[in-house]
This record gives sequence, C-alpha cells and structure tokens, in this order.
Amino acid sequence: MLSTEIIYKIILILAVFTVTLVVALYSTFAERKVAAVLQDRYGPNRAGPLGMFQPFADGVKMFTKEEFIPGNADKQLFILGPSIAMLTCLMTGAVIPWGGDLTIGDYIFKLQVTDINIGILYLLGVVSVGVYGIMIGGWASNNKYSLLGALRASSQMISYEIAMGLALIALVMMTGSLSLGEIVRQQDEGLANIVYQPLGFLIFLVCAFAETNRAPFDLPETESELVGGYHTEFSSMKLGFYLFSEYINMFISSALIATLYFGGYNFPFQHSLGIEGNALSIVQTVVFFGKIFFFIFFYMWVRWTIPRFRYDQLMKLGWKTLIPLAILNLFITGIVIGFKNGFFN
Amino acid sequence: MITQYLFYFLTFTAIFCALLVVFSKNPIYSALYLIVTFFATAGHYFLLNAQFLGAVHVIVYAGAIMVLFIYVIMMLNLNKEVEPHKSNIIKIAATVCGGILGLVLIAALRETELGEITEYSNNGIGLIEKLGNVLFGAYMVPFEISTVLFLSAMVGAVFLSKKNIH
Amino acid sequence: MNEIIIVASLGILTLLAEIFNFKKLILPLVVAGLAANIVVGIMEFDLASYYNDADTLRMIESDLYAKCFMMLLSIIALVWVLVNYNFFSDETNQTDHLALILFAIVGGFCMVAYTNFVMLFLGIEILSIPMYVLAGSNKRSLRSNEATLKYFLMGSFATGILLFGITLIYGSIGSFYVYDVRMKTASVDFTITPMFTIGVVMLIAAMAFKVSSAPFHFWAPDVYSGSPTSVTSFMATFVKTAAIAAFMRLFITAFPTAIESYKNVFFILIIASLFIGNIIAVFQTNAKRLLAYSSISHVGFMLLALLCLSEATSLKSLFFYTTAYSFTTLAAFLVLKIVSENASGDDDISVFNGLAQRNPLLAGTMTIALLSMAGIPPLSGFFAKYNMLFMALNHGYLWLVIIAILASLVGVYYYFKIIIAMFTRNSTDSTAIPLSLLQKSLLVLLMLIIITIGWNGWVFNLI
Repeated sequence: MLSTEIIYKIILILAVFTVTLVVALYSTFAERKVAAVLQDRYGPNRAGPLGMFQPFADGVKMFTKEEFIPGNADKQLFILGPSIAMLTCLMTGAVIPWGGDLTIGDYIFKLQVTDINIGILYLLGVVSVGVYGIMIGGWASNNKYSLLGALRASSQMISYEIAMGLALIALVMMTGSLSLGEIVRQQDEGLANIVYQPLGFLIFLVCAFAETNRAPFDLPETESELVGGYHTEFSSMKLGFYLFSEYINMFISSALIATLYFGGYNFPFQHSLGIEGNALSIVQTVVFFGKIFFFIFFYMWVRWTIPRFRYDQLMKLGWKTLIPLAILNLFITGIVIGFKNGFFN
Repeated sequence: MITQYLFYFLTFTAIFCALLVVFSKNPIYSALYLIVTFFATAGHYFLLNAQFLGAVHVIVYAGAIMVLFIYVIMMLNLNKEVEPHKSNIIKIAATVCGGILGLVLIAALRETELGEITEYSNNGIGLIEKLGNVLFGAYMVPFEISTVLFLSAMVGAVFLSKKNIH
Repeated sequence: MNEIIIVASLGILTLLAEIFNFKKLILPLVVAGLAANIVVGIMEFDLASYYNDADTLRMIESDLYAKCFMMLLSIIALVWVLVNYNFFSDETNQTDHLALILFAIVGGFCMVAYTNFVMLFLGIEILSIPMYVLAGSNKRSLRSNEATLKYFLMGSFATGILLFGITLIYGSIGSFYVYDVRMKTASVDFTITPMFTIGVVMLIAAMAFKVSSAPFHFWAPDVYSGSPTSVTSFMATFVKTAAIAAFMRLFITAFPTAIESYKNVFFILIIASLFIGNIIAVFQTNAKRLLAYSSISHVGFMLLALLCLSEATSLKSLFFYTTAYSFTTLAAFLVLKIVSENASGDDDISVFNGLAQRNPLLAGTMTIALLSMAGIPPLSGFFAKYNMLFMALNHGYLWLVIIAILASLVGVYYYFKIIIAMFTRNSTDSTAIPLSLLQKSLLVLLMLIIITIGWNGWVFNLI
C-alpha cells in the first residue's frame, strides 16, 4: 500500500512538473501569437505547422548561447539567483488540486500532490521566498540597472503581498479552511467563491499581476529605463530560467485564481451530466485546464492592452488603494459572517 | 526514526548557518545564512506538528523581514569592509563576557534535569484551530494589547520617515 | 483595565482626528481625556476592585498596588502634557507625538498591573517603542539621531535578554502566570534549578537596564542628553516610575521569597548606582547629562525598597519615593526646558547663570527642586530618602545606609553647583525670561507639590 502510494506520488510529481514546463514553454509561444493577433500581424509561423515548433527552436537557442558571468559579479550568488527563482516557482504546483479522484482497482488516487491543511500559507510562504531569486540575481550582477531592477521587484512584491494576503484572509474567513482541496470541495457544494468575494477577487487578480511582474506592473524589467532590469547581465540558460520562471508563475497564479475563486476543477451541472467516477475526474481536469488557459490568455491580453504604470503610481495603487480596499473587504466579510452566525442577535 | 534524523539534520543546519551568519565577511551572505537558519527553525516547528507556526515563521521572518534587511544592505552597499576597526581591549572584553555567559548557560544546561519527557502525541497542538482557541480565549487580553504595540510601531515608523513640511 | 481602554482609545481618537482634520481639537481633547481618566480612577479607587478573574483572564490585576501606580502614572502623564504644551505646537508632528505618548502610557499601565509575563513583555515593548521613536523626534539633530539609535539597539538587546529569562523561567515552571511561579517555588518539592536561577538573573539584568541602574546605565546619559528635553523629562519620570514599579511587582508577585537569594546582586546594583550616579555627575557640565546621572543615583535609592521587600513599609517607601522623585524631576526639567529654549537650545549649566535676576520664579522652583533631590528637609525628597533609609536600617543594613548617605552627600555638591550659578554668577544676557500663564501656574503647582507632599504622610499611606 505504502509503496503504491509513494510510486503514485512520484509519478504525479513528475507529471505536474512536466505539464508545468510544457505549459510554460507554450506560453512563450502563445504570448507571441496573442501579441500578433492583437496587433494584426502573423507572429511566428515558420517552424513547423503554424509555427508550433518555435518554442523548441527558442530552447535550443537558449541552451547553446555562451554562458557568461561578468568579472565583477559574485559568482555563487549569480548562479543561486536563477536557481531560487526556478525552484520556488516549481514548488507551488504541489498543493494545487488538478482534478477529482481517480479510482483504479482498490486504490483511490487524488490528483493533488499533497493536500496539506495550510495550503494557502504554504503558497504565500513559497511566493514570499521567490523574491530572493530576483533580489540575489540583481545584486550579484554588480550592475546598477540590475540592482535597481531588483530593488523595484522586491519592494513591489512586498507591497502587493500585503493586499494579497488580506484578500486571501477574507476568503479564508468565509471558507473556514486553509486547505486548497477543501476550498475546492466547498465550491462543488455551493457556488464559486467569486460570487461571494467579487472585491476580494479583483484585489487578488491585481496583486497576482504585480507578484508575477507582468505588465502593467513589469517595472523591474523596463527596457526603456533599466535595459533588462534584474536580468540585464544574465545570458544563456540562466536568463532562460528567469524568463521561464515568469511564465511558470503566470501558469501557477492562473491555476490559483481558478482554484480559489472559480471553483477549481468543478464546473456547473457536473453531477447531472450522467458521467461519474474516473470519466468525470478527467473531464474536470480538462475543464480546470480550460480555466487556467483562459487566465493565461487574460494575462497576455492585459499585457498588450494596458500601458505600464509609473513607479509612484504603482506604489500608490498598492498602499493607498488596494490595502484599504482589502481591509474594507475583510470588514464587510466579517460583518456578513457575523450576521449569518447570529452574533448580532 | 526518520524524524530523529531530520531533527539532527535541521539542528546541525541551524547551528552551522547561525555560526556562518556571524563569521561571514559579506553582510549579504550573513543575511542569506540567516534565512537558511530561519528555514531550519521552521523545520523544527513542522517536526513538532506546529504547521501554522512553521508557515508563519517562513512568511514573516524569511519572506518579509529578511527581504527588508537585504533591501537595506543592498542600498547601503556594505560589501566593502568599511567596518571601523575596534580596539583589542573591547574585543577581549566582549569575548570574555560572552564566554562567561556561555559557560554559565552550558553549566546550567548540564545541571538541569528535565522532568519526564512525555511521549509526543499527535493531539493537533499547534494547529490553527487550537492556536485560535488559545489566542481568543486565555490570551485574549495580550492579543488585543499587542495591537497597540503594532499601532505605535506603525505610527513611529511613519513619523520617522515623513518629511517635515513647513 | 478601564484605564488602559480609556487611554488607548484616546490614542486612536487622535489618529482619527488627524484624518478628519480636527487638529485644533486634539490637544484639549487629550488633556480632558487624561483628566477624565484620573477622575474615573479616583472614583473607583475606594473599591480597590480586585478584578474578577473572568474579566481579564488573569492577565491584568487592578490591586491596590496597580491602582496607586496607575494613578501616579496618569497624573505624571497629565502634568507632563501640560508642561510640554508647546512640544505639540508643531502642526505636522502634533498627532504623532500625542499618539505615541498615549500608547506609551498604555504600556506603562500594563507594566504596573501585569499578572502574566506576556503582559510584562508587551507592556515594556509598548512603552519602549514610542520612546525609541520620540528620542529621535528632533530629526535634524545628529545627537538626537545618535540617541535614538543607541536607545533602540541597547533596548532591544535588553528586551531580548528579558525574553530569554522569561523563557528559562517558563522552562522550569511551566507557566507564564506570576502567581503560578510563586506557588510552584513556594511548594515543598520544588528545588531551585540552575535554569530557573539564570532566568531570574536575566530578568533582573533586563529590568535593571530599563530602570537605568548601574552597571546597566551606559545608555542613559547619551540618550537623555541627545533627546529633546521634553522627551527626556518623560523618560526620567514616567518611564522610570513604570519600570521600577514593574521591577518591584516582579518580586512581590512572582518571587517574594527569592529576594534573599539574590541580595548580592542587588547590593552591587545599589552601590554601583549610588556611586557611579553621584560621582560622575560631579564632572558634568551639561545640565541634561547631570540630571541623567542624578536619576541613576536615585535608582540606587529606589532599589533599596526591592532589597528590603519583607519590610512592611517597602511598598509605601517606593511609592512615595517615585512620587516625590517624579514631580521634582518634572519641575527641574520644566525650568531647564524654558531656560534652554531661551538660550536657543543650549543646555550647558552656564545657561543658569544669573537666573535669579532674570526670573525669580524659575530660579526659586529650580532651587526647591534641586534641594528636594539632594534630600534637604522639609522638602519631599528628604522624606523619601528618610523612609528608604529608615526601612533599610530596620532590615539591618546599617553599612548600606552609611554608603547611601555618603553618596548623597556627594550629590549635594553638584546640585549646589547649579544653585550657585543661578544666584551668584552673572549672565551675559540679562533680559528677563517671559513666562506664559500656564507655565507660571504649573511652576507654582509643582513647587507646592514638592514642598507639601511629604508633610502628613498621606501619600505614603496611600498604598
């Protein structure tokens, strides 16, 4: 029993790992295609049918470029930076429930690597450590542009983490659980959380954009002011790691938005379709990925629509708008829960 | 069995990195080793089944406080040795004082007989529900009073950082 | 508990007033609130309400000791706010200063009424953090910056040691409640472990730092002289009273029997404070540093009450000493503040030259205050010292009493240095110093308090 469990978990971890990488790989491709569509161009269309092999060509390019470490850089930290960035973003996939249970013979396999009861805190912890990848990389480059990019990235992430945490607390107050599996199960029984937490969702969405350093909050890597931001000095696969981690973060945060606010792998009327068991689980997984892809598309859509914020605007939005709004949301949620539980009678 | 090995590993990591924090020449390295120490400490919490405390330890100390530390170190650019030279007398005095304190503590530790070590039971202590019941039960007053502490710290920080407008 | 709620909500009210632009109202509101707090306290005083456990869940106890010290702290705070009315006149910082001070008062209340080590720690921190900030409130002055940094670094280390001590005590007792500690240590099968001893010693060290007793006093002169004079007077009166009351409470509630085992520690603290305070003060030329060292020497006297804890009068003596000391110090700092502001911020002793001609009221108040500090009868400082020494004598510490008297004799010398400067030296600037009506009435009030407070012993017998 134990060994089956362990083998299954290893397979699941590898599967999640692979899926994450493949999705991230094709996100780079999708980004270029979406940009092209929005700007009325063709986009990459030479490598393979419709340019499908373009990501692999990019990968080969990344791998074969010259590995260059600047002379004045701190060598260990220069390598540590991209490693941490990659490590932390891959760790987040562990607590996300990818689908319902699969039953094979006597065994019930959960499509979730681990359903720890502090899932949300785990995510917050990993995300908050993720900023070190950028900070260390930017500092170790010994380059003013990199340092400025790193400083921007870290202050931005810290500022928006607060509002994000407050938005999540309101959600947790409502669901009464920090476990992602439990939150998704509750949304199967009731409505999706977006119905109860529209403001919380909006705050979380904006913060997710800021946390992943995506446009319109991509100030750490503004070409026009900072050359390349924190990864100015990086080349070859180290640069690849940074770029890749950004896309993985995008994937994971899309998965998180879907999980927390849009019912996760659940979809409306799923129990009246006449399918159940393994078939239902597989359909659920497909639906879940559909939601994720929509949010990845949403990320790109926003990127090519809204111009970049100025830095003081970014900070003002974070501290003077989102945090008060998040507190207001928390307050309202508390009052409503109080009324429901009859504290005011 | 495996928890015991984990315990030894975490303890070794914590102490080793704590020493490196002190002995590193470069402040950035010191800060990074401190982060590793925090992780090892959080690991101890997890071993004690205090998952909430462990996670919060990582989020608050490693994720927020140390980021600000590193932020400041980066701004100050302390990587060159600009530390003023301290006189030998102060160094010797500090070593003697620290040594005596360490000696006393170790001696006390040797002499101390702990009571019966109760077998660890998985009663969910340190889980959020238990912690919440304690915080909003017996420790209600300190919990509420600590808000005054945080508020005053916030007001103080704002006061120190704002410019005087005349 | 009521006091804490009133003052904390007053602090939040000031912050809200800033948001809604009622700045003009803030200061009168705070004064009224603090006065109301005192009235409520006096009305409840006779109840001497021993709060029901369920009320505060054994975290705070409003026994007579706590009530008396809370009242004393409230009155000190009110007088301090009135004395430093113009400290809050700067519109940009007014709210911050007031809110920080009000929160600090909440911390002081927690420190004198705690029944749980967690509350002791929280109280100390709530009192300390606003102090760290206010010490640096003169942001353009390098010495103010130095003061805040020194105070902050050393204060946080002291807090760390305090926490370490609390942890060790928890390790050997298994409870944070002070009465549990007392019960456990009093029981027959309790053997004092080294862990417990070290815990207590660390607590003593941390508290000795907070009351700035020698040899943990090194921060005090720099911080006192670097901070703005108003803040220094708060530190020297309110903070010191709260800290010594917390120190005392630690021993009356948690370790009443332990004091005999640690008396050597207290001998060292007392003798060092008396001598270092008094002798180094002789060589000071800066008035604030001089008062800082003088406050260190007064701590030596206050600690006598802890040493003689088993005497019936120890609590009374300590309460009376802190009362007399606080009002005397408030008066001295008020004069120093007015005089040094008149000399564009200079706080050298030479600013007192010829003060008797320039403003007799100021010179008179300062003289009374200094004579009281030196312990000249019939001023309150004399009765304070007399009670302490009498108690120590009863307890059989004749040698300690002789040392204390010798040290105070040294003290007389440097107090007279200022008095002589005021009356015999000639000032370079002989214009009269103008006083507002509030300042005049406060000076007279403080002078009356200093003179009359010790006469029929009602303050002494309050506790």
